[in-house]
Amino acid sequence: MSNLVVKGKSGQELAAGSADQFQQYLTFLVGKDNFAIGILDVKEIIEISNITRVPMTPDYIRGVINLRGNVVPVIDLSARLDRHPSEITKRSCIVLVEVETHGESQVIGMLVDQVNEILDIPQANIQPPPDFGADIRTEFIQAMGRVDDNFIILLAINRILSIDELSQLQHVVKSQNNASQTDSSELA
Amino acid sequence: MSELDAAIQTFVQEADELLAEMELALLGLEDNPDDSESINSVFRAMHTIKGSSGLFGFDSIVAFAHEAETVLDQVRRGQRVIDGTLISTLLNCKDHTSKLIEHCLTEAEQELSQELKLTGESLIKQLGGATTKQESMPVEADSKRGSSETSETEGDTNGNDWVILLEFGPDALRNGMDPLSFIRYLKTLGDIVDILTSAPDLPIGEAMDPESCYLHFKIVFRGNTDKQGIESVFEFAEDDCEIRIIPPHSQIEHYLSLLAEPSDEDDAQVERLGEMLINIGALTPKEVAKALQRQSEDKAESPEQAKPIGEILVEQQSAEQPVVEQALKKQQSVKQKIAAEANYIRVDSEKLGKLINLVGELVISGAAMRMMVDRHGLSDVEEVAVSMNDLVSEIRDTALELRMVAIGETFSRFRRVVRDVSNELNKQIELKITGGETELDKTVVEKINDPLTHLIRNSLDHGIEMPEQRRAAGKPEQGTVHLNAYHDSGHIVIQIADDGAGLNDEKIRTKAIANGLITADQVLTKQEVFDLIFEAGLSTKDEASNLSGRGVGMDVVRRNIEALRGSVSLDSEPGQGTTVTINLPLTLAIIDGFMVEAEQECYIIPLSMVEECVEMSPEECEFDEIQHYVNLRGEVMPYLRLGDYFNNRKQHSNIHRESMVVVRFGQTKVGFVVDKLHGEHQTVIKPLGKVFEQLKGISGATVLGSGDVALILDVQGLVQFATRDKSRASIGLAG
Repeated sequence: MSNLVVKGKSGQELAAGSADQFQQYLTFLVGKDNFAIGILDVKEIIEISNITRVPMTPDYIRGVINLRGNVVPVIDLSARLDRHPSEITKRSCIVLVEVETHGESQVIGMLVDQVNEILDIPQANIQPPPDFGADIRTEFIQAMGRVDDNFIILLAINRILSIDELSQLQHVVKSQNNASQTDSSELA
Repeated sequence: MSELDAAIQTFVQEADELLAEMELALLGLEDNPDDSESINSVFRAMHTIKGSSGLFGFDSIVAFAHEAETVLDQVRRGQRVIDGTLISTLLNCKDHTSKLIEHCLTEAEQELSQELKLTGESLIKQLGGATTKQESMPVEADSKRGSSETSETEGDTNGNDWVILLEFGPDALRNGMDPLSFIRYLKTLGDIVDILTSAPDLPIGEAMDPESCYLHFKIVFRGNTDKQGIESVFEFAEDDCEIRIIPPHSQIEHYLSLLAEPSDEDDAQVERLGEMLINIGALTPKEVAKALQRQSEDKAESPEQAKPIGEILVEQQSAEQPVVEQALKKQQSVKQKIAAEANYIRVDSEKLGKLINLVGELVISGAAMRMMVDRHGLSDVEEVAVSMNDLVSEIRDTALELRMVAIGETFSRFRRVVRDVSNELNKQIELKITGGETELDKTVVEKINDPLTHLIRNSLDHGIEMPEQRRAAGKPEQGTVHLNAYHDSGHIVIQIADDGAGLNDEKIRTKAIANGLITADQVLTKQEVFDLIFEAGLSTKDEASNLSGRGVGMDVVRRNIEALRGSVSLDSEPGQGTTVTINLPLTLAIIDGFMVEAEQECYIIPLSMVEECVEMSPEECEFDEIQHYVNLRGEVMPYLRLGDYFNNRKQHSNIHRESMVVVRFGQTKVGFVVDKLHGEHQTVIKPLGKVFEQLKGISGATVLGSGDVALILDVQGLVQFATRDKSRASIGLAG
């Protein structure tokens, strides 16, 4: 059994190594659209558990969960891609990925509406992102992957879950929050 | 190899501690040059470092430490006066030694760098010199002569004569020993007052062998020497001669007084009786060797009846009963002292961290178990669960205590900073330390060092004025920087106060306006102006010095302290001085929490900050729903409705019963209005991670027994918000 796992792993590494080989991607649904991220970025996929809201944070920060004793933030991917916040359904999942900033790695959860499958996409079918035309920020797109006749957006995880940006935006929201509070007391 | 590495590790650690101790002692000597305890401690540091470096073959350290030790020995013996210059030099020696140690660790094989060599040489020169090895010897001899000289002057009145018993063996003459020549040589050391020759074993008639020696001598001798000196006279005869040297009466007293003195060297080791007596000069190594030999012979014959070495020494008449007794007593006390020191165990802090993490998990699963017991109504299990819970909380407290250290050591380190800086700036500054025994978590102590250094440097550079200015202002020329620490409601408060010029709030305002931090028409309270100091890019000093004044720093100080979930504030009176107050949590791991619920979410408030809980009803207290003020038994305080605040709602629509938790932070009291009170909860603090680093109002998270995550409120942040938001001045700030 352990042999099998090792073999699988080295097979993947091989795939990543040469250009005309396949690379594996995890596809999932956000809203009605299919997105994918490289399988090597995914740490694990868990069922939705009780998410604790964190007050005074933007919509895309869904809250925090308890992952085997560690507190892990969960990002609402739909809201992060400037759409409506996701509604929790039976199929909702949290995809855990590891993001590195300034040498420290942090596990972050992404709330998605449904996890679909793992796809092999040949390197030849990977194309650079379009300059315009997509309804999400172009910097969030790493590449476009062609599967049959459809394109799947491969997300740039490091951009979407950039810790610098996540904590920055929060700061902006907070000061807005402050300002509105001040307004209220001014009104009073 | 690894064992050696470990040993070196211990050496380095010990050396570090010794050097720190030495520095402290030196700084203490500056105020109190006659403090023999400090001098001894400095000497001990050098002496021990020299010794242990020798073990590892770090010759460069040995050579340097030897020089310093020699000078210190002179000081210790009162042959050299310790003054400011010597202290400075010795401080530099301390620095040099730690550099040498570093060198030996990293590149032991390589030669000393030119720089290190030069520093070393110049330091040795400064040490007064050419006290090189050749010269250090006479010094020692001198001192010994000195000690016996005292005994001689006393001895003139009450018999200060040595008695030397010589029993030559029969083969002495055959081996070329001439008793007469020894006695003649003895004369070079002093006067032979009387000599008694006897031949008790002389056989009569035929049995007498003319080539054998039967002579015994009893010599009364007076001279400026010690036991060792006398013994050395008979060094060559020792094989053929029984030598006993009985010290004069005054000498015994001298030994006793030497033994009564606190041991000043090698106090980390139990000296063996023999060694001790040799050290004070009551015995010579040979006598001890003989006694030991006899002891081991006795032991071989009858193990039970072997006598202790002390008794043998007395029997041999090499040492006197009272001296041996005194020595034994001293040995006992040293042993006790060492036992007390051995009560400490060095533990890898990582191991402690792991223990505390485990205790944290234990606390969480304990909470989970209690919840299950409650849910299933297992009344028979409940008792066990409760007692286990109590034990767990005890374990938790003990585990956390393990990491608590007194802050005094950190404080004392700044003596050096203050000294160096005040010399550099030509200011006279005294550092006063109080509350050094206040304990806090080791990890906090480590991280507080940098901010403290910065604040103290600020006080020294900006705060305290030049002596002339101080005199002109009617203040004593010597400025004071006061470091203070104390506990306050689950926090530790550290204050850095100086009696310097104070801050000019107008100047800060002007600067802040110039830097665009505030606009010219903003109205700020004094406190808010002082808070601007902690903004990036603001310095009131017109010219930057190499110490401070570049405007970077105070913002870093604040950031560092906030990273520890602490806060920093500043207060100042022009002309009176400045006080910086740092507030820090005692620990970063586990706290006692108070759980409340607002809008279906649970929050933890650190229990130490909770003053009381009251029901939100008109009978209890008066509310001003518009201004968000509550009148609680005549005390007016602002309150915050947590649910509304967190959900950013302006209108309150709740109609069900609510409670108010009154929290206190420093002098400020604020009420938090919540839906439900859940009571005490042992809270294991889990970091929220980088994503929430900038979030104010929430300081961390914890895992509840149910597996859910609850957030820990940052009371201080919320209190600041509640009070600031209500004051009109802040409208300008927020805008």
